Amino acid sequence: MKPDASLKLLAEVRDLQIVDRDGRNCGVCDDIELDGKPGGPLRIKSLLVGPGAYEGRIPKWLFWLVKRISGSRVTKVPWSAVDKISARIFLNVPGEKVGLRVVENRWVRRFEKVPTS
Amino acid sequence: MGGLIEITLGIMTAVGGFVDVSELVFAAQAGSRFVFSLIWVFAISTVAIAVFGEMSGRVAAITKQPVFNLMRQRLDLGPGIVALIASVVTSIITCSAEIGGTAMALKYLTGLPYSLLAGLTTLALVGIIWALPFKWIERLFGLLGLLMIVFAIATVKIHPDWGGVARGFIPQAPVSLPLKDLVTYGYFVVAIMSAVLFPYETYFYSSGGVEEQWKPKDLMVNRMVAIVGFGLGSLLAIAVLINAAVLFRPEHVDPAIIGTSALEAAIPIGKTGLLLALLGMVFAFSGAAVETGLSSAYSLAQFLGWEWGRYKKPHEAPRFTIAWIAAFALAFAILLTGIKPLDLVEWAVVLSIVVLPATYLPLILIANDRKYMNQHVNGPVSNTLGWVFYVMICLAAAAALPLYFVTQGGKL
Repeated sequence: MKPDASLKLLAEVRDLQIVDRDGRNCGVCDDIELDGKPGGPLRIKSLLVGPGAYEGRIPKWLFWLVKRISGSRVTKVPWSAVDKISARIFLNVPGEKVGLRVVENRWVRRFEKVPTS
Repeated sequence: MGGLIEITLGIMTAVGGFVDVSELVFAAQAGSRFVFSLIWVFAISTVAIAVFGEMSGRVAAITKQPVFNLMRQRLDLGPGIVALIASVVTSIITCSAEIGGTAMALKYLTGLPYSLLAGLTTLALVGIIWALPFKWIERLFGLLGLLMIVFAIATVKIHPDWGGVARGFIPQAPVSLPLKDLVTYGYFVVAIMSAVLFPYETYFYSSGGVEEQWKPKDLMVNRMVAIVGFGLGSLLAIAVLINAAVLFRPEHVDPAIIGTSALEAAIPIGKTGLLLALLGMVFAFSGAAVETGLSSAYSLAQFLGWEWGRYKKPHEAPRFTIAWIAAFALAFAILLTGIKPLDLVEWAVVLSIVVLPATYLPLILIANDRKYMNQHVNGPVSNTLGWVFYVMICLAAAAALPLYFVTQGGKL
């Protein structure tokens, strides 16, 4: 599917794994941000990634718990960075370029000091 | 030829990796309490795990997505989080039970203290997973777990009533039993079903499919491994049940400790049988510990979209690496509290069956979705079987907790 095709938004984009141009996992599309005026067409503005985007999707008590454990950061990935969608969302840029992989990369740097097989 | 070797190795690995501590415990207890009358539960549950295993491998090969990724999308976020927490907790408790079982078997072999052996087992498993690639990890434990075949050899040697064994494959409810025993029988039906269908098996199997980068051409290997491998593996569990029925039932022996089951091989085969049975248990249980420990990390990483997989170096998937090491540390910490491995086995099977409906529903839905699966969508056979078994699992899940409390975990 190409990003300009009409989509059943919630069913087909939300909760899919995001993979960047280099084939690396960059989180999951936790929600989407729409753009448009009343009466006009709605367009997807960005994919929302991060536990902060859970708000409104889960009961309040559960969101409170999630926030305590993993914070409430949200990264907005512009729709123009989406290359194609199948069972995963493929980006046409490296994850870092759209603000993804921040926590993963922080751990990668810490781990590089550990000897591995 | 390469394909044939691949299929053979896959099948052997599945056979050796089939029996875990809970299957062994429930098979032995089922035989000693109810003779051959619970064999059918093993048989039906094995067909079910073959159907769901094949489905999860096929979904992994076609969509490149393991079960847990898809679970969140199909269940929605809220129920997905609940399923995630329940799955991780269940996998860690099961991992703890498997490490405990391994340490018990090692204790019989070496005479060293149980806690020390549990600690050494945990360290050894973490070291092996850190150092070896996925395929080697899977094959090492699967192939060495084939030592469990000694239980099947013992079955042939003790000449059971084969007619009675055959009748055990027919679904039955021994209504002539007193109510107390009938309820316990019901508990065993649910527990065996849960032990064979443990949710970690599909998490691990489908994650393995992605780890090994299965493609559509690997679907035949997947099908053979799921059907033949799981089928033959299940025969080992059934052999443990038959041996217990023949050897323990007449003597009123309750195989309530793990070591009792090893006697099934010792009685007809002698010292060598005992040694092989204990070694087989060490590798089969520690293999299951590896699968459950990794499964909890697979679930977490896939749900949150992290980098994951043992095909990556530990530093390339750092949060996944931390997750599986933490899973083993927690599993060991549970053992340090002094909880007996057999109690953990009971909790693991009861919790697992409650998680199962949430695991298999998204799997059937995705495997049926032509948009993702194209021509590899479920055929009429796997579809019908999938839904029939799904209803069966839901009924078992609803009955699990009441039966557990009424029978005090089968001890009534």
